[in-house]
Amino acid sequence: MTARPRRGSLIASVVVALLLIVSALLVVRLAGSSAVSASEPDVALPAPASPAFAIPDPQALGDPRHVARWSTVTRAVPVRDAPRADANPIAFLDTRTPERTANVVLVEDRAADRAGRLWILVRVPALPENLTGWVPRAALGASEFVRTRLVVDLKGLDATLRSDGRPVFRAEIGIGKPAWPTPTGEFYVRSRIRSLSSFYGPLAFGTSARSAVLTDWPDGGFVGIHGTNAPDLLPGRVSHGCIRMRNVDILRLGRLMPVGTPVTIR
Amino acid sequence: MEIDLTLDELDPAGAICEAHENVHRDSRATFLRKATVGGAALVGALSVVPAGGSQSANDVDILNYALTLEYLQASFYTEAKRVRALRGKAREAAEVVGAVERAHVQALRSALGSAAVARPTFNFAGVTKDQRQFLKTAVAFEDLAVGAYKAQAPRIRSKPILAVAVSIHSVEARHAAWMRRLFGIVPAASAFDDPVSKPEATRIVASTGFITSSGKTEREAEPRFTG
Repeated sequence: MTARPRRGSLIASVVVALLLIVSALLVVRLAGSSAVSASEPDVALPAPASPAFAIPDPQALGDPRHVARWSTVTRAVPVRDAPRADANPIAFLDTRTPERTANVVLVEDRAADRAGRLWILVRVPALPENLTGWVPRAALGASEFVRTRLVVDLKGLDATLRSDGRPVFRAEIGIGKPAWPTPTGEFYVRSRIRSLSSFYGPLAFGTSARSAVLTDWPDGGFVGIHGTNAPDLLPGRVSHGCIRMRNVDILRLGRLMPVGTPVTIR
Repeated sequence: MEIDLTLDELDPAGAICEAHENVHRDSRATFLRKATVGGAALVGALSVVPAGGSQSANDVDILNYALTLEYLQASFYTEAKRVRALRGKAREAAEVVGAVERAHVQALRSALGSAAVARPTFNFAGVTKDQRQFLKTAVAFEDLAVGAYKAQAPRIRSKPILAVAVSIHSVEARHAAWMRRLFGIVPAASAFDDPVSKPEATRIVASTGFITSSGKTEREAEPRFTG
């Protein structure tokens, strides 16, 4: 009675052992055949195509301290003394400059009113000097950015253009006579005029600065930065308030200074 | 939550900014004019000639089309960073993605050389100043870019250019997933993505009014400054 189970167990053990051996042989054979296939050149996948050009590393933006923002005025609008529709109007912005270029403003800040409408604090090209006020964002066009700043030194009689904070241009200048002083403060470049008048040289930049004494000057007495037909007078206090440069200098500045560049006159 | 986002669904007006209200309130004629401006910028990418012998006109056209979409994205993220209205993870994402999109622009411009289309003027009308609107727009832009690259890839004749396009396409897909996650929608809800044809992409971008004409700030004249 006890011998039959022992024999049955033995047979079962032998069968299991045989199955394991066969399985192991199959695994080894399959592994070997795939290894052979991968090494055969006629069935290997082709190498990836070389890209036509390389994508450079991600491009970080420059130091934000040197970036200024400007926009065109797309809708004539009153400038208000607070960011809300019922605030006092303090000036008026047209869509065009007296030179018939698109009017632009330097953007200083933003705020939302109670209704959630966005308002932008802008530097206004109007008297008194250094006037700022609020306009609806809806009255402005695309945001544009510059990384340049022109610093005009009235005592040193020179102008320095900085790009990303570094000086990239310097020139001697002529400024307003004592009776017609060049205004001081924070302004910006708002137009670029290829001049047809030799008096202004080949190029003139319109700025947001206005003469406080020549208010009856044609088109309101805006201060320009331009060339000259009398370079021998430079540097000096020779103008009606404009900033004059030698023609070679204004042309060089023209290659470096975009519209929207902040202008500090001190 | 799954939202079928397209750019023409954006309504940046609302409580954000009046500028877009103006777009939506425009007369049909004005709207079509604006749409034409936006569309022209994209269609312009189809009219260039090859820069050199190595790229076919067909591939140059496609690269310029890609460049225009990259201009759109790069300008969007650049403005978002510069107006400094974003916070937290959205700000971080905008910074990283923006730097990558600018790299795409630089690469495509370099490859195209003098055949590269000029950057259009973009007016995002306050969308970059609101975190929620920013993310919604970013999702739409990234999805659009993914679909546009997908549509053009089979049309590219040069394998090396196709290699570049595919490498950009997968990065745009990562961006799309990232922005979708931040916006709170499923990053990858579909088993298969649909391509977006060029006319459809042009229509979508034009409908936003984001591509605008820039006013001229330069002219030839006799100046009348104080002198």
